Amino acid sequence: MKLSLFGVGDAGTRLVDKLLQAELEAGRNFTDGNVLAFNTAAEAFGETDTLPEERQILIGDTHSAVNQYVEPDDDGPDTDAASATDRDHSPGVAGDPELGAEVADDELPEIRRALDLVDDTEVDAAMVVAGFGGGTGCGVGSVLLEELKSIYEIPVYVLGPLPAASESDERALTAARAVRTFVPLADAVLPIDNDSWARSSQPVAEEYDEINEMVATRILSLFAAGESDPATVSEMRIDPADVMRTLDVGGLSSIGHASIEVDTDDEGLLARLMQLLGLAEETPDTQTDAATIKRLVRSALSSKLTLPCDIESTDRVLVILSGPPSEISRKGFETGRYLLEEETGTVEVLAGDEPLPNASEITATVLFSNVTDVPRIDELQERAVAYQREQDAETAVIDTTTSIDGATMIAADDSAAATDGDSEQPFEFHGPEEQRENGDGGGDDAVTADGDAGEMTDGDASEMADDDASEMADDDASEMADDDANEGTDGDAADAPTDTNSTDTPADTDTTVEDDETNTAAATSSDEHESSS
Amino acid sequence: MKLATIGVGNAGSKVIDRMVEFEQATGRDLCRHTLVINTARTDLAKPEHVPEDRRLLIGETHKKAKGHGVGGDAAIGAEVAKTEIDEIRRIFDDVEIHEVDAILVAAGLGGGTGSGAAPVVIEELQKMYDEPVYGLGMLPGKYEGGRPALNSARSLQSFVNKVDNFIAFDNDAWRSRGQTIEEGYEEMNRELATRIVTLLAAGEVDESEVGENAMDSSDIMRTMEVGGVSSIGYASTDVDTPDDGLLSRFSDEEVSDMESTDAAKIKGLVRRAVNSRLTVPCDVASAERALIIFAGPPSEISRKGVESARDWLEQETETVDVLAGDDPRTGSDTLAAVVLLSNVTDTPRIKEIQDQAVDAQDTIQQQEAVREEEIESLITDDNNDLDPIV
Repeated sequence: MKLSLFGVGDAGTRLVDKLLQAELEAGRNFTDGNVLAFNTAAEAFGETDTLPEERQILIGDTHSAVNQYVEPDDDGPDTDAASATDRDHSPGVAGDPELGAEVADDELPEIRRALDLVDDTEVDAAMVVAGFGGGTGCGVGSVLLEELKSIYEIPVYVLGPLPAASESDERALTAARAVRTFVPLADAVLPIDNDSWARSSQPVAEEYDEINEMVATRILSLFAAGESDPATVSEMRIDPADVMRTLDVGGLSSIGHASIEVDTDDEGLLARLMQLLGLAEETPDTQTDAATIKRLVRSALSSKLTLPCDIESTDRVLVILSGPPSEISRKGFETGRYLLEEETGTVEVLAGDEPLPNASEITATVLFSNVTDVPRIDELQERAVAYQREQDAETAVIDTTTSIDGATMIAADDSAAATDGDSEQPFEFHGPEEQRENGDGGGDDAVTADGDAGEMTDGDASEMADDDASEMADDDASEMADDDANEGTDGDAADAPTDTNSTDTPADTDTTVEDDETNTAAATSSDEHESSS
Repeated sequence: MKLATIGVGNAGSKVIDRMVEFEQATGRDLCRHTLVINTARTDLAKPEHVPEDRRLLIGETHKKAKGHGVGGDAAIGAEVAKTEIDEIRRIFDDVEIHEVDAILVAAGLGGGTGSGAAPVVIEELQKMYDEPVYGLGMLPGKYEGGRPALNSARSLQSFVNKVDNFIAFDNDAWRSRGQTIEEGYEEMNRELATRIVTLLAAGEVDESEVGENAMDSSDIMRTMEVGGVSSIGYASTDVDTPDDGLLSRFSDEEVSDMESTDAAKIKGLVRRAVNSRLTVPCDVASAERALIIFAGPPSEISRKGVESARDWLEQETETVDVLAGDDPRTGSDTLAAVVLLSNVTDTPRIKEIQDQAVDAQDTIQQQEAVREEEIESLITDDNNDLDPIV
């Protein structure tokens, strides 16, 4: 099928660039040049290889809060993770999604003009590619997604990395809110879990490059199936409608991928020659062996998914077998599909083949649509909530030094301010910084917990059934994360009474903050109305 | 018989294509009109024997189809066909309906286009013409999964209610190890085309060169008019070419002996046709009517054999309504027996599909019931503390 790609922010821009490279290399033309990238800082644009310059749109450069300059001591543009850990040093919207959204709102005319460069009638779907944890990815991405949904009849999907455990709590909060924002708006969301793909031994930059490559392979196998030139006639072709129907249910989706080598033509010829000469006995046709295909589908099932999840929680499934048509067994194809039905418990399993006569391997790509048991998202939310509470508690603490009864009011104000982005409150910017210094211990704990969970999932996945491994990871991680959350909140709450003498128990502080959130919800939504009208 | 044939969806189009190929290869002239209808542009390009202007793409303007198929969704398949019913009617303007005896609509029942659009097409054809409309439906195999089973179980009802007779083909009966996808479906389509063409092409040669034993189109139509689901059995054997025949006659002294072998051969062929793979496995005794056609060189068809084969089938089917006749093919190097079992009511495979479909429907409904809730619960934290950005 044909897709238009919209990169947003550093991570999104780089991933789009990687997708375009992969498109060139694989000879599967699936964008037809319908690409754009938006960023609030120009730096990622300098690193693209394939993305044309005129398709790279810089927005917000005139906005007073947007910083275009990179501080010399910054870790450099390669480190998606590190570049935004410290707000003051990062260019663009400094990791602030509210600012990102505000900038995008202000620049909507500019964005709309740029969208004219892309022909939505030529493509089957649009895809916003954005880092979930980034201020630009999440903030600008949300506004862009909203805009695309209102002007396009075609489905709009979102693809992008979730922040790793080693990244800041602030990015975790941004990502959790991005999930909360993207999913109701988009037709389907495909988050990439960097944690399960990262290897600590590698330099960060290389790691991201490798992950992006991995993502590009999967996205192309799935969306660009059948777009190779010259197109071959497929027996059970996957039509764009098949992919779209699978994703139609919304929610989060994950991709599994596995391949096996097949005999190359040379070997085949040699073997045939040997047989002709009577030097070799005729061997059973192993390539068309149904068991091989079934095994391949099974390994795609238990492969490292773009978003680790319990595949039994999936709503719809699509599987594509790509490879030389002579190697794909019909019986294997059917039993492979049936295996998916049995393993996932859904009957909505679409399957197709993509004949690639010259390919040296058979590839199985499996799309799990609307997976609802995703430990990583729960972890992210727990971390985000804990961090948000810290923030709010911190705000309350700062404020109560001046006004004992004012905590409630100020916390409410702060939330409202954060939502409309019109923030001149000092808390917005000072809060998280101080908090990070204070809360270092908690942060480290979180890293360890996630790391363990990740390793466990990776290490055991090969032997264990996928769901076992992730369940285990889930339990452990969430327990640990729970501990962290409690610790963090307790700590802050414990600080609060000493500073202010205004509260009796930690629990009270929590409750106050929570109530504030609820109260400000109304204010938040009315703010939204104002800004959109 | 002379037919107007319409293939709907990928599987239906391919089988029509194979039917034309087979009739051309064997000098038959059954399909006077061919038409394929599909929702996917790429699949429409596949047939080799259907003229370009007899391929109709529907659903190009449909929001979800757009010429790219319906994603296995029978509801969309039906919707698209209904929306474009005028387009479908218009393409029949070219069909000289008085030239044909019947219309055959072929479709795969597991997919979205065949199962959804074909019944709509059939309904329209029944409104437009007096000629009988027959259905030829491919039932999905067990391993094709729950969704295709549900599509086919539902579509089967529409088909059987709307057509004058429904010939079923069970994909599972033709699955074998070692086939690639391409070979697998190719082989099935060829087997099915052979059976359909051998059956329905009988009686196309008007009484000119044939004798009283020839099967008539009206006989076939009479057998099919009871409606319901039908199954076809088929068996063939190579016959001696005239050269071999001459040689063997020299070596074979006793002509009378040969005649009895021929009779045994004919009967054996029919037994094999019924007991080997039927297009859909069924209890033969549950058939309401039956018909046997012997297609091949007239000299090979022993009258004695035909009679005993007919008697045997009468016993097997427990019905007296068994017709037997010839389809003389003078130059043919094969002798084939094709058996039509009309309105068979005991077909385990259809029962299985229905059970699988009921389970599938339950699963789908359960999923739908909790879908929104589960997504909401996934994307929000426990206390709903996290706000969306926009």
